[in-house]
Amino acid sequence: MNSLDREKQAGSDKFQFARLMGYYRPYLPLLLLSMVLVLVINAAVLIKPYIIKHVIDSYITKGINDRSALWTMGIIYFVLVVIGAIFTYAQSYILTYVGQKIMFNIRNSLFTHIQNMSMSFFDRNSTGRILTRVTNDVEALNDLFSGVLVNLFRDFVMVIGIVATMAFMDFRLMLVSVSCIPLIVLATVIYRIAARKNFIRMKSMIARINGFLAENISGMKLVQIFHREKEKFRELEELDREYFKFSFREIILNSFSRPLVDIINNLTIAVLIYFCTERVIGNTLEIGLLYAFITYIKQFFDPISTISEQYTTIQSAVVSSGRIFEILDTVDVQEDIHGGRPLGPVRGEIEFKNVWFAYNEEEWILKDLSFKIEAGETAAFVGATGSGKSTIISLLTRFYDIQKGEILLDGVNIKEFNLLDLRRQVSVVLQDVFLFSGDILSNIRLNNSEITDAEIETASKYVNAGGFIEQLPDKYHEKVKERGCTFSAGQRQLISFARAVAFKPSILVLDEATANIDTETELVIQNALAKITKGRTSIIIAHRLSTIRNADKIIVIHKGRLKEMGRHTELMEAEGVYSRLYRLQVTKK
Amino acid sequence: MVLMKEKETVKGKQLLLTFIRDHIWSYVAGILILLFSSFCAMLIPKILGIITDGLDKRNMAREQIYQYVLLMLGAIILVFILKYIWRYLLIGNCRTVECYLRDNLFKHLQTLSVDFYSHHKTGDLVAYAINDIQAVRFMFGGGFVQALDGITISVVSIIFMANTINPILTVMALAPVPVAAVIMVRIGKLIRERFKRVQEAFADISDKVQENLSGIRVIKAFAQEREEVLNFTKFSQSRVDTQMKLTQASAIMGPSAQICFGFSFLFFIVYGSRLVMDGTISLGDYIAFNTYMITVMGPVMNISKIIETWQRGIASYRRLNEIFCVPPALEGTVSICDVCEIKGKIEIRNLSFTYPKANRRALKDINIQLEQGKTLGILGKTGSGKTTLINLLLRLFDVKDGHIFVDGIDINKIPVDVLRECIGYVPQDNFLFSTTIKNNIEFFKPVHSDDEIEEVSKISAIYDNIMELQEGFDTVVGERGTTLSGGQKQRVSIARALIKDPSILILDDSLSAVDSKTEETILGNIRDVLESRTGIIISHRISTVMHADEIIYLENGRIVERGTHAQLMELEANYFKLYKTQTNQAETLEEVVK
Repeated sequence: MNSLDREKQAGSDKFQFARLMGYYRPYLPLLLLSMVLVLVINAAVLIKPYIIKHVIDSYITKGINDRSALWTMGIIYFVLVVIGAIFTYAQSYILTYVGQKIMFNIRNSLFTHIQNMSMSFFDRNSTGRILTRVTNDVEALNDLFSGVLVNLFRDFVMVIGIVATMAFMDFRLMLVSVSCIPLIVLATVIYRIAARKNFIRMKSMIARINGFLAENISGMKLVQIFHREKEKFRELEELDREYFKFSFREIILNSFSRPLVDIINNLTIAVLIYFCTERVIGNTLEIGLLYAFITYIKQFFDPISTISEQYTTIQSAVVSSGRIFEILDTVDVQEDIHGGRPLGPVRGEIEFKNVWFAYNEEEWILKDLSFKIEAGETAAFVGATGSGKSTIISLLTRFYDIQKGEILLDGVNIKEFNLLDLRRQVSVVLQDVFLFSGDILSNIRLNNSEITDAEIETASKYVNAGGFIEQLPDKYHEKVKERGCTFSAGQRQLISFARAVAFKPSILVLDEATANIDTETELVIQNALAKITKGRTSIIIAHRLSTIRNADKIIVIHKGRLKEMGRHTELMEAEGVYSRLYRLQVTKK
Repeated sequence: MVLMKEKETVKGKQLLLTFIRDHIWSYVAGILILLFSSFCAMLIPKILGIITDGLDKRNMAREQIYQYVLLMLGAIILVFILKYIWRYLLIGNCRTVECYLRDNLFKHLQTLSVDFYSHHKTGDLVAYAINDIQAVRFMFGGGFVQALDGITISVVSIIFMANTINPILTVMALAPVPVAAVIMVRIGKLIRERFKRVQEAFADISDKVQENLSGIRVIKAFAQEREEVLNFTKFSQSRVDTQMKLTQASAIMGPSAQICFGFSFLFFIVYGSRLVMDGTISLGDYIAFNTYMITVMGPVMNISKIIETWQRGIASYRRLNEIFCVPPALEGTVSICDVCEIKGKIEIRNLSFTYPKANRRALKDINIQLEQGKTLGILGKTGSGKTTLINLLLRLFDVKDGHIFVDGIDINKIPVDVLRECIGYVPQDNFLFSTTIKNNIEFFKPVHSDDEIEEVSKISAIYDNIMELQEGFDTVVGERGTTLSGGQKQRVSIARALIKDPSILILDDSLSAVDSKTEETILGNIRDVLESRTGIIISHRISTVMHADEIIYLENGRIVERGTHAQLMELEANYFKLYKTQTNQAETLEEVVK
């Protein structure tokens, strides 16, 4: 982030806070309710010392031994405690509920938003980054929504309430008592600033130690082989020593702060007593009142301390929300999943008409590419790495949109169809199979409940996956762990074939689906391949030319342009690129 | 084995005991001062009581009251100072423990074998060294001090209440305290359970999103977005539900304690007031008593937090202890020989090797005779045992006596540091540390001159690349610095091995990411370097090893072919086939298309 961005960021902090507060809207009644509860709780807290004062001044010092009156006072006190307790509980519950609901809303809208992003968004942003937005950044808002606003209200009301009660009881003594507030505020602010600065340094030291350890544990073998244990140990010691410095400073700071407030408190009490002595002795001041004041002075600290804490919470929430809003505001790469014409099963005639495409502006990956695949044909793409073969597939399912030209499906531009419908008609099997946690069934049907268990079994048997699945202890219910690492590459590939077939697509795409597989499994897959491509428009990309020689149409792509197109025999006769390539591969074996 | 384990468990514990013994005086002093400071703190309400009485009964001169006020101030300042000292001593110690444990843990980690690291994730180990050690610190510091402070304050308060004020009132007022304590402990347990569920729900969300993002291509290809959102909503809702459950428990803690103590105040107002009017206690006592009651409430409300700190600390300590109990890689081996230099003759006799916990032999019947100054080439598929052989030569794993000899001495008898110092090793994975290139070449031991560093960089054909960088050899590479390409990293690794001026140079498939032209240059340079040294070169490419004095071809841990390039070509077996494919592959698709 450069300095300009940072300035912009700072300028929008207020706006962001306002935007965050906007999430409260559906819960305003609850919010107001909890504020009313806060008023009652505060009132109960304020009245309690007054009752003790009343007991002292009206009964004890006057020597009125009125049993029932004392019981009344005691019970009123107790009732206040109970009311305070119940209301506090209700208030925390309501606030948590509101906070969680808001987080739920933000998290879901964020996730939905991300789901509808186009592939280029995922190309640009790492998984880790997006993950943090949905998890930690949303979580960081918790304190803000389930606390800050109401707590600030509570604390301000509390401070004002204490001052007002004092003023009501004795204005001059109130002035004496209040004199400690600036001191407490000053002490708190100074402490917070110092502690925060130190805390940030400590955090960054811990981060450095963390980085050091991560790096050195990964490189431990090297350190051992090069015999640098001592040097490395000294490095850690150095880091630890530096960390200790800040860590120890934290203790010193903490050891000062709270006791210091105690001192200020007690100092105020001492001053108060000094002022009152004359008046108590002169009988112009009741002793219970003095006691009530002492209690109130002690209650000053907590609200003042928490008010300054709230500020930190707001700050970190605003930072997190900034990151969340950044994603929510990215609308230009959203996919339109609702628009377009609905699309059912198609015949599968595919035509590229003068297609130009670039991931980045003007770096053309495909240049003026035209070809036509008839319905039911099997077409194979051949070309070097980076020639644009895989890109063609991504364009067919509109993972990316082309810049110039047209892609037609059954004679209609694919942009006119509903995106999801279009993709449902095309099943893609990739080289790297991705398996989700769950079992085999759920990996074949994904979340599509329309596919029955029986259909899954049929599909699996059809692609020759049934054999190995049925040998598993739990068969189709076998758990898939750790992205399927308990299965071999070939088995994973068979599952993905079953997945592709179970969705009954009109068009089937195999992108290097047989690379990286042992010969035994490859035979099984080849056999399955012949079955599933029959009578269905199929597109195959493969390095091994032997796998594609039976294709109806072989399309040779080089640097984004069409080089040759035709059947195996035709291309062999033509003595062009394909034939040379094919001979080379065959002689190697 | 059992016996050994027992002995080793002591090791982890020993560490803490040693620490406590070393700091025993600061602990003793800290605890004593803490006790004294609690006592002084408890005097303050008493003084306030005396002042109240003075004012109430008007039997005290104004000056006397002022004196008490001053006394109170004195006590406050004394408490402040004492508190500061014991915090400094006791909590300061726990910060020292943190660094002490981490240093020792790292020192221990440095002795552990490669095998250990293949079974433990780096992230987990880092978590041990940071989070678990911090948990132990909290137990040692906050947990310990809060418990001690809480107990002292409560005991002193109760003594003051019962002794100097009124025992019956004390019993009545404190009757709800055990009830509150039990409730705190119970709810505390409930909270911990529910908190765990909240964390699980959060982890589920995290896993779900992670999986979704990794598989986004599949999800989009099969148009599963809407279903994914529905699925996610379930996890998201579970996060809300678990949090509400947690709040139901945690929010009841404070209020329930308040209600318990509400009874205390009820008794206090009704019974205590009557005692004052009876003249059994003074008004000052009455007020002091009130303050003591409030003081005792604090530690009771804290009980469950303290228990939690201890539980976490103990769990973390156990985890750490497990690591401390893993025996060092080369424990028990005694290197008898006092060799300090190695010339580089290597002999391997009938060597078979199985990795710990594995059931398949990684090497079978290996026999190699490598004279000083000669070069050995090793070929073979992934998993054929090439790297294993090197691991054994570097003593990353132990072999039995009588199989590997260096300079005619059994490898187990040579001190490890001498052995490793004499081997220049270039690993397969080009791992560089995030520091300057210079530091990476010298590898954290700045004993080499700039000329030497330049020379080895020239040999490894990286010099020109480095000079193109803005800060030359001082450029920071790795995570936070300039990123070098795979090939450049490999060449820095080669320089790192060469600067040691080793008698044995090992290249473990170290030129895979270098283009063929540069490879030729480097190989030419290295051939010169190897004139006087023993060399072992592992590769997938024939071109890298074809000039070696002897080439062995490994398959499934066995040497299946051996000889010079010419001899192996004549054999027309594996080596020959590999040669054919590789020379064919040279005409890449790219060239054909042109």
